[in-house]
Amino acid sequence: MGVSIASIKQSIFRVLEYALAFLVIISLNFALPRMMPGDPFLHLSGEVDEVLTFYSQKQVQYFREYYGLDRPIHEQFLTYLKELAVGDLGFSYYYKEKVSTIILDRLPWTVFLVVSAMALSLILGIALGSYSAWRRNQWQDQVLYTVLIVFSEIPAFLVGLALLIGLAAGLGWFPLAGAATPFAGYSSVWEKIVDILHHAALPILTLTLARTGGIYLLVRNSLGTVLTKDYMVTARAKGLKEFRIRYLHALRNALMPLFTRVAIQLGALLGGAILAENVFSYPGLGLLMRSAVVVRDYPLIQGIFLVLAVGVMAANMLADLAYKYIDPRTRPAAGLKPGAALPLPAGGEKGDA
Amino acid sequence: MFKNNTVLISIALLILMFMFAVGGCDTEKVEHAETVVLRLEGGDWGFPQPYTRYSRGPGNAKVNYIFDKLIEKDENGFIPWLAQDWEILDGGKKYVFQLVENAQWHDGEPFTAEDVVFTFEYIKKYPPVDAVDIFMDDSFLLEVKALSDYQVEFTFAGVDPNLFENLSSVYILPEHIWSKVDKPDEFISEEAVIGTGPFMLTDYNKEHGTYRYEAFRDFWGPEPAVDVLEFVPVSDPVLALEKGDIHCAGIPVDVLSRFENDPKYTIVQRPGFWGYRLRFNMEKLPVFKIKELRQAFAYAIDRQDLVEKTARGAAVAGSLGVLPPDHRWFNPDLPKYEQDLEKAKALLKQAGLEGEKLRFELLVGEDTEVRIGELIREYLSDIGIEIQVVSTDMKSRDSRIAEGNYQLVLVGHGGWARDPSYLGERFTGGDRGDWSSGTPGYYNARVEELAKQLKTEIDEEVRKEITMELQQVLAEDVPEICLYLTTGHDVYRNDIHDGWRHVFDHHMMEHNILSFVKR
Repeated sequence: MGVSIASIKQSIFRVLEYALAFLVIISLNFALPRMMPGDPFLHLSGEVDEVLTFYSQKQVQYFREYYGLDRPIHEQFLTYLKELAVGDLGFSYYYKEKVSTIILDRLPWTVFLVVSAMALSLILGIALGSYSAWRRNQWQDQVLYTVLIVFSEIPAFLVGLALLIGLAAGLGWFPLAGAATPFAGYSSVWEKIVDILHHAALPILTLTLARTGGIYLLVRNSLGTVLTKDYMVTARAKGLKEFRIRYLHALRNALMPLFTRVAIQLGALLGGAILAENVFSYPGLGLLMRSAVVVRDYPLIQGIFLVLAVGVMAANMLADLAYKYIDPRTRPAAGLKPGAALPLPAGGEKGDA
Repeated sequence: MFKNNTVLISIALLILMFMFAVGGCDTEKVEHAETVVLRLEGGDWGFPQPYTRYSRGPGNAKVNYIFDKLIEKDENGFIPWLAQDWEILDGGKKYVFQLVENAQWHDGEPFTAEDVVFTFEYIKKYPPVDAVDIFMDDSFLLEVKALSDYQVEFTFAGVDPNLFENLSSVYILPEHIWSKVDKPDEFISEEAVIGTGPFMLTDYNKEHGTYRYEAFRDFWGPEPAVDVLEFVPVSDPVLALEKGDIHCAGIPVDVLSRFENDPKYTIVQRPGFWGYRLRFNMEKLPVFKIKELRQAFAYAIDRQDLVEKTARGAAVAGSLGVLPPDHRWFNPDLPKYEQDLEKAKALLKQAGLEGEKLRFELLVGEDTEVRIGELIREYLSDIGIEIQVVSTDMKSRDSRIAEGNYQLVLVGHGGWARDPSYLGERFTGGDRGDWSSGTPGYYNARVEELAKQLKTEIDEEVRKEITMELQQVLAEDVPEICLYLTTGHDVYRNDIHDGWRHVFDHHMMEHNILSFVKR
């Protein structure tokens, strides 16, 4: 019984923590765009060669009333909360459409890019990182190390531009822009999938190249440390098979810091996606976020940040859960039965920093 | 041992190879030989009806292909469009327009004077994105009345010399569809894009930013010169034009040479109607009321040097008479204010400002504007004026202008080719002028007088004369300094379509409906 009470307590605490974070986020979400200088309807200047519609003061007044911006700020906040409670994210001033519709149209493209790039760079980073760790200081390690460091140091948009000029414009292997062939009448689902993959290949490759280096380094170093631990010697002494030692004992322990990093880096990866989307004119949330801020579209800014915040929080929660699965030490103490699934490092040693 | 590593590496390689393999199977598109498909740079600018297009960017042009206005523009001025002819009565307070009789809506319904009457009632109730103040004002636009099926009468309380400009921004809506719509900014069904214009919308995708139009074969006016008009996403216009993804694009001056020797490309220079202005805050800093100080600024700043250094030559130096050199009523006989530091110093001395510590803050936006600001700082330091350049984002700068919270401000925008009545908005009103459009603190009796005449005079020749003099006065008085107007170049594929044209007051050929119809 003690087990469940402890874990329930902990879960309640966690849920409260997340609820509090969520409240802070939506308040900031509401306040920050409005604290930015600038007005959604005041157009005095534009980008070079941009055509824009000037609003007279009378028209600005009309729009402010129409969208309720003339009301006291606390009233606006209450309205925002009320609408949010029923899942209404509001109506975009600039895009003249429901914020939820706009975001739902764009979100899948960004998620597709980010998840594919994350998965690819994880696979590549783990594979190459462990290879390097096992071949530490041999020539293979040194070559990989140099190449990957170089790639991870080049800014993502430069890699993107190089790919665009080389592979898309030069060789003509990939389309220059967009997420699908415009006005294409696909004859089969397969054709559509190929078209979408074809368009996504370069943005994903850009993001993957930019991310793999970091993951590679982390895996290489943390595996390097794990390999020198006493329990590796113990495992070998027990006569375990090399495969089991490498993948169940060494790699599993070495990957723990990686999970934290992946969860924390989700935000950074979204940042990278903004750049890649801009380079390839890819219709994701990144492009949208940029223009929403530029035109001070409050409801849309709020909506996008809310979705991103919820996304990052969800990733953190998943990391929490995954940690419990991978590292039994994070489970409530009472839950740990003698002879648990994992071979633990001797002497209360911490896995890795 | 080695085997396991090989497996991992092989997986990694396989993934990479898959990506390249997918890239390899590019399918070439075959186009019909007979139909002209013109592709241009897309991007999402809103659902193309007057209430849902976006207020920035080429959204207006996307509407313009579908909907007609009473008046259009060509290279030289205003031209009849849905209104074929007109009679001006009561000294310009009453207009009777004769409408085209063979126009029909894209759904086959006939277009009549009732649609015009309806439109003007509707926009009063629901202002569209491009709302015109005088048409929203009951006390100015007194009545719009159908005299017959093809005759409509407008009655105004006063005279509006900008009436044609204003009419040329009102899209005529079909009464039989819009009379049922009470939330026009949420109206995005197929019916919402039924107009009388030369093109019909057949496809729009918000997230991909694509538009597809087909020529309307029953168009009342000049026959469309293009069968299909497509707007597709573009990452880099130069690459896209070279690859044939699009057929016309604005090309930076550095890479123009790539298109110069190929006969299938034509290069056109854009007129300079997008400009940077340096504004003085005379209300907050009365020292700027001293004319000689403003003139000293004008003599110290090398505008041609700014053109070379910050616009790489793709611009035209501004005139101190404010109207740009490409304006149809530009006055070429004005003082040139070429850089002359001695003269600038002499002016400061004349104003008794010699030896004074003159130190100002210059508010600028980002990127190019910072470079312009830095150059201005250098020019002015040569005559002993110290400038501190402060950079913010565009929106913050705009807010500070609207609040009058600046000393000197650099601001860039388009619209310089419009009717010169904007000179009146900028430089009259004295202390009553509002910060966003006027110059509070500035007063010149002659400017007030000439601007007043421009407000009531409707004879084009007389208006032109007044404008010439107004530029003369402004060039002498320097209430603000137009630094330069960007020009830039468009390059188009003449083998696909060769009918491109500018209108007299706009720098984008793509936004002009006459570019897509036969002459």
